[in-house]
Amino acid sequence: MSETLILGASFLCGTPARSFTPEDFSSDEKMMIDTAEQFCRAEIMPHLEAIDHQEEGLMPKLIAKAGELGLCGIDSPEAYGGLGLGKNLAARILEFMSLNGSMSVTYGITSGISQVGLSLFGSDEQKAKFLPALTSGESIGAYALSEPNSGSDALSATTTAVQKGDKWVLNGTKMWISNAKWADQFLVMAKINGTDFSAFIVPRDTPGLTIAREEHKMGLKGSSTARIVLEDAEIPLDNLLYEAGKGHHVAFNALNIGRFKLSSMSIGPARNAIELAAGYSRDRKQFGKSLSEFGLIQKKLGQMAALFFVAESMIYRTGALIDEAFDLYGGTIDGNRKAAEEYAIECSACKVFSTEAEALIIDDALQIYGGYGFTEEFPIARHYRDARVSKIYEGTNEINRIFLADRFQRKLKAGSLSPLQADSWIADLAIKALHMQLDGQIQVGAASDLILLAYAEQSSRLRAAKLGDEGQALHNAAVPYLHLKAAEAWQLLTDEPLTLPKVEKVDYEALANMVHHNNGPVRFN
Amino acid sequence: MIRLTDRQSLDATWQPGKLVDTFMKVLVPIKRVVDPYAKVRPLADGSGVDTTGAKFEINPFDEIAVEEAVRQKEKGAVTEIVVVSIGTSASEEQLRKALAIGADRAILVETDAVLDSPGVAALLKEVIDAERPQVVLMGKQATDDDNNQAGQMLAAKLGWGQATFAAKVELGANVTVTRETDTGEQTLSLAYPCLITTDLRLNEPRYVALPGIIKARSKPLEKRAPSTVPAAKTRTVNVELPAARPAGRKVGSVEELAAAIKERGAL
Repeated sequence: MSETLILGASFLCGTPARSFTPEDFSSDEKMMIDTAEQFCRAEIMPHLEAIDHQEEGLMPKLIAKAGELGLCGIDSPEAYGGLGLGKNLAARILEFMSLNGSMSVTYGITSGISQVGLSLFGSDEQKAKFLPALTSGESIGAYALSEPNSGSDALSATTTAVQKGDKWVLNGTKMWISNAKWADQFLVMAKINGTDFSAFIVPRDTPGLTIAREEHKMGLKGSSTARIVLEDAEIPLDNLLYEAGKGHHVAFNALNIGRFKLSSMSIGPARNAIELAAGYSRDRKQFGKSLSEFGLIQKKLGQMAALFFVAESMIYRTGALIDEAFDLYGGTIDGNRKAAEEYAIECSACKVFSTEAEALIIDDALQIYGGYGFTEEFPIARHYRDARVSKIYEGTNEINRIFLADRFQRKLKAGSLSPLQADSWIADLAIKALHMQLDGQIQVGAASDLILLAYAEQSSRLRAAKLGDEGQALHNAAVPYLHLKAAEAWQLLTDEPLTLPKVEKVDYEALANMVHHNNGPVRFN
Repeated sequence: MIRLTDRQSLDATWQPGKLVDTFMKVLVPIKRVVDPYAKVRPLADGSGVDTTGAKFEINPFDEIAVEEAVRQKEKGAVTEIVVVSIGTSASEEQLRKALAIGADRAILVETDAVLDSPGVAALLKEVIDAERPQVVLMGKQATDDDNNQAGQMLAAKLGWGQATFAAKVELGANVTVTRETDTGEQTLSLAYPCLITTDLRLNEPRYVALPGIIKARSKPLEKRAPSTVPAAKTRTVNVELPAARPAGRKVGSVEELAAAIKERGAL
């Protein structure tokens, strides 16, 4: 596919020679994406009330239906019922399956993080035993890492596994387990003898496994979240995934890919919010005019579309890189690990930017709805509640920021990056930040912001260059926002004065017209 | 029923003893059209519609025809489905989709000529003369130009019986087609070979399953050149947007409504 791999984090080493954009999916792949979109619009979106009330049996039925269409194992191996396709395509499909947050999480977990550990680290026997039911949608999977006292600090888990004869005996409590109510199998992290962090597959019918009551959540009410309790839960020795003491590879590589995919999950609801705002702003009239004729509403619509454009540009650029790494290294467990790790920085950048863009977009959509947006009679309130957790799970955005700068500095120290070279004003600030002595988390976070904003700006710029006037207009509308965020971060690093660069004038009326014409985010096919 | 001896291209999944005991080939012509839900604008010079950046689909009525053929095959009433499109290589995208839904093979009659309905019928007749299907199943009209005549013209050229606007199709010893008309349901019986055009009510096309899309990659898609490109008998003079409708007004009562209608001379 590629001549040479574009190395992880090399976006600060000048402009890359090539960069994938969502328009580059093949016509076959676009047909698959269409199926996901049609399915979500026709089978999910008319039933949001029933989904939010967790109507008995509904969610497993919807997952099974998606499975019949081949949607539940896009990037899992063909030999185990998956389609063996790329992670980037899987992410794009996930985006369109994510127009509603609750469905997004349920589907995202069972088609993603519950399978990726098995796909990457499972033995052939384990894959044959546990994957087909997940890829077909007959079963639902869950991933159990967090504990009551171990969230972001995942390795401090206290759940234990002790070998007794031909069984592992597990004890502990796992918290925030998505899909707990309807999952048939759980990927559980536990420490062997209290020390060696390891991954286990625990079937639902394991004696000693109980699902505690559902959490009463602020949003995502249609998704199941509960704690699971393991009391002398006995599983066969064969259910240890990968190697004893190497559970962190399983957990964190699943999370690298999971973070990447969460980016897609977060722009799905944002897409729907833009669609809703486009429709409402056209239909709602005040002072004898449609809301969309007012400048400040046009500005919002334009900014929403621009932020969406940037997030989309980053995500699918990153996904293509991950696919290339898997093509090159994948196949063996060590190769899979290397591939999943290569773009960990980009994955974190996508996660942080996309979830924050999601929040801004949905907030503006609610504002366009005015007072009605603040009621549950209208669909934005649900998005508003659902979206809040995006910045929290799959690694909080704070943890991702610390991780991102830390990883970058380690790469620099290891000398594995060619010389840093700025191709934008933000990249220049980011590189300067990387050469500073950073003092404490606030400065580390600021450096991270500059790095991820540089990645965002570059991804959007490269995509716009391919797309002509409309793409350029979206990019131009995003740039002032990116610059301001960069300036804000810079001020945490130094008291040197800073002048913002000149930007192109933004025609928000034209942007709002584009949003109306597309009935949502601008599509370039 | 026509009994063909040549079963070389018989589909492997076909089992004798089902509804038909003979080779039953259905040919489905499909047209690539601009996504009917997309908003398009006329070109500045009025020569056509601006399709830059537009998404293209199988004409929805043709997709219903593909769906019907596939359902008939799943019931065992059809052994082979051939989809045909006329156009540039861009139409391969729609042919691949038809293959993904369940057609067995595809033919692209490659031309960039602008064709009117008689031209489409002439080119399809060439393919049908070579393929000799028992049934041609196609959309009653295309959503881009809404002519609703290619099917009828094609049946006339072939000298076949035709049933238009089909709401129900049964393939047995004869073909039975139910049509919904203003005065009720009309049922037609046709002998093979025949041509059927589909109405919206015939079925609701399925989602294209992903494994089907992968399978379609390896199904045969043959490109043919037309022997001659028929000269168009009609040409487009101008394309423009419909005139904007004047704003309506709200009336408070039936009396007021009646008065308003009278005022406009409509009553």
